[in-house]
Parts: sequence; structure tokens; C-alpha cells
Amino acid sequence: MGLLSGTASFTRFMVEGEVPEDFWDFVARRVAEHSFQDIDDTIDEYSIGWVSVADMFDSDFAFSSYAAGDYVILSMRIDERKVSSAVLKKFTAKEEARIRQEQEVQRLSRNVRLEIKERIRAELVRKSPPIPAVYDLCWNLSSNTLLFFSNSRKAIALLEDLFKETFELSLIMQIPWNTALQLTDQATAEKLGDLQPALLI
Amino acid sequence: MDLVDLIEEKRFLGQEFLAWLWFKSEERGGSIELPERGDILVAFEKHMLLEYGEGPESEKLICRGLQTELREARTGLTLGKKPEQARVKVGSGDYEFSITLTAATMEFRSVRLPKTAGAGDGDGDDPESFEGQVLERISLFEEGIELVNELFRLFISIRTSGDWSDELVKLRAWIYTSADQLAR
Repeated sequence: MGLLSGTASFTRFMVEGEVPEDFWDFVARRVAEHSFQDIDDTIDEYSIGWVSVADMFDSDFAFSSYAAGDYVILSMRIDERKVSSAVLKKFTAKEEARIRQEQEVQRLSRNVRLEIKERIRAELVRKSPPIPAVYDLCWNLSSNTLLFFSNSRKAIALLEDLFKETFELSLIMQIPWNTALQLTDQATAEKLGDLQPALLI
Repeated sequence: MDLVDLIEEKRFLGQEFLAWLWFKSEERGGSIELPERGDILVAFEKHMLLEYGEGPESEKLICRGLQTELREARTGLTLGKKPEQARVKVGSGDYEFSITLTAATMEFRSVRLPKTAGAGDGDGDDPESFEGQVLERISLFEEGIELVNELFRLFISIRTSGDWSDELVKLRAWIYTSADQLAR
């Protein structure tokens, strides 16, 4: 649920920094450079990049544009191969038991156990399909505001990094303090700094 | 100051805004007069999260329920708890939005947009109708944000002015009166 349908949850940002004059060419170039790269047929563990909001498989923006009126609309897609700790524990224990039996020993050294665990983890990661997550965003160019359709702290941190890397612009989260500074005149903004929490009872 | 510290230090602004908004909406039976827009609908509904204290010693109170009077939440206010999250219905003209607002970060959660004539699921057959649907949804999101921003602007202008002490007296009186009425 996000930009396109149903109920939506979002976090608001201000976009800080200067945009170049050839803005749309710049966006085209940078979005292409940071578009999502599929890892289904590789053994990579992680991939992050931009896709179309209309179709998470469209990272060339062949069928839908990231431009809508005075807005840039994009989805941040993250694919990650994950192995649950319970699965890792089970297969590591199984492999340790096999090696103990093969070598006819009671115990394995700590180093050997660590090596087994790392090898099993790498094998399991390779076998597991990448899990996708997609988050929409909408960047209003006239007000330099951005809506990111998630409240997840982890997703927000990833967005801030990817956005900075792609456009060389910073995102400032619109918490009440920042919003108050944005919405009020200079005289009111100066008084804000002196405010102390009020007792409501 | 970095963002995490700023969120923590200034979270009272968002909490006081939600408490003030609740009081203000009930003061005039579910509407608030904005200086340039006139009366707009503001109603608190079915979900509220209150907090008392900070960090590991904080206490949380979640109140939920259809057609609720938020009885526990009103009592919570008299015990010094402050609203951290509230489900608010805001409306202007034909438009009505339901938004869960958070105090510390002013995130918008589970935003329900007004029904419009051209409302669709965003999968138009051609690129132009798709773009039209996207732009319509964006303009609705921005309209909802603008309403909340205008309410917040009004709150900040009162909060930083000499009128705040009078407003605080009325707000405290409302907290005790509304909790009292429900207790009877």
C-alpha cells in the first residue's frame, strides 16, 4: 500500500541542495546509473536501486516514466537473500555432527565450528531466493518536498543514502520542530527556541 | 544537534499539538476555525496512544475501539500522560481524510483519502490515464498534509504568543471536565 492504491503511510522530507539546470537529463542519467539490478540469477546477497512505481520489474523505465507533472515518482527496491537463524543453527549442527562422526572425535575446536558455520551460511544464502521489498516515493519539485511511503527506520536510512548517492541531495525529515520552522515567520521561529514543555495538568 | 536528539528534545511540540488539537476540536463540537480557510472538520476517532515519562521508565497506554469516547485516554491525560499517536479525521469542503498522526516525528500513518469521481486503483490502461491517477492521488495527499500543516501553524502561532497561558488554562479545564463527565 503506498502511492498508488489503498491507505498509505508516509514520512515527509525536505530536499536540500541545488539541482542542476538540465534537471531532467540529470535525473535520467542518475536514475539509470542507480537503477535496480536483478540478482535472481546470481549469487549476490543484496541489491538496491530504483524501479518504476507502476512495475517493480521495470528498472529501465521502458513502460512508465518517473516524471509525472512537476513530480519525480520512483520506487526504491531492495532484494536480499536471508537465512533465518533457526535454519542456520539446524544445518550447522547437522554438519558438525557429520564431521565429528567422520573424524571420530568428541568435540570440534572453536575455529573449526566457526568455519563450518560460515560455510553453511554461504551455502544456504546461495540457495535462498532474494526477498524483495519496494517503497514508493514522490518528490515535489516546486516545493522541494518528498513523501516516502514507509515509516520504517531501516528503510528511511537506506532511502537517505540512496537518494544522496543518486542525486547528491540531502533529505531532511520533517519532524515537528523542522515543520514549525518551515511554516512560521522569522519572529515566531526565533521564539520557538525558548519554548519549554508545558504541564497539561 | 543531530536528528535523533532533536526528535527527543522537541517531541513535546508534537505531543502538545495533539492534546491541543483534541481540545480545540471538542471546544466547538468537531470543528476548528482556520484564519484563511474558515471552519474545518477535526474529529478524534477510535485510536490513541498515550505516553508518560521517558526512555525505559516510560509508560504507554493504548486506547482503541469503534464509536469510542476514548474514556481511558481522557483519564490518562489527567494523570499527566501525553498523546503520542492519534487517529484524526480532518475535512474541508467535500474532502475528508483519516490520518494517524504521530507526535515525535509527525509521520502520517494509514492515511485514508477522500473518495473522488476519478478514483481508481492506479493501474490505468494507458500512460496518460496512469499519470492522471497518480497526480490525483498525490494532490489529495498534499491537500491532507496542507490541512494538518495549517492546524499546526495555528497551534505554533498560539504556542509562541502571549495567548498561550490563557489557552493552557482552557485546555487544562477541558482535560478535567471531559474526564469528570465520563466518570459519572
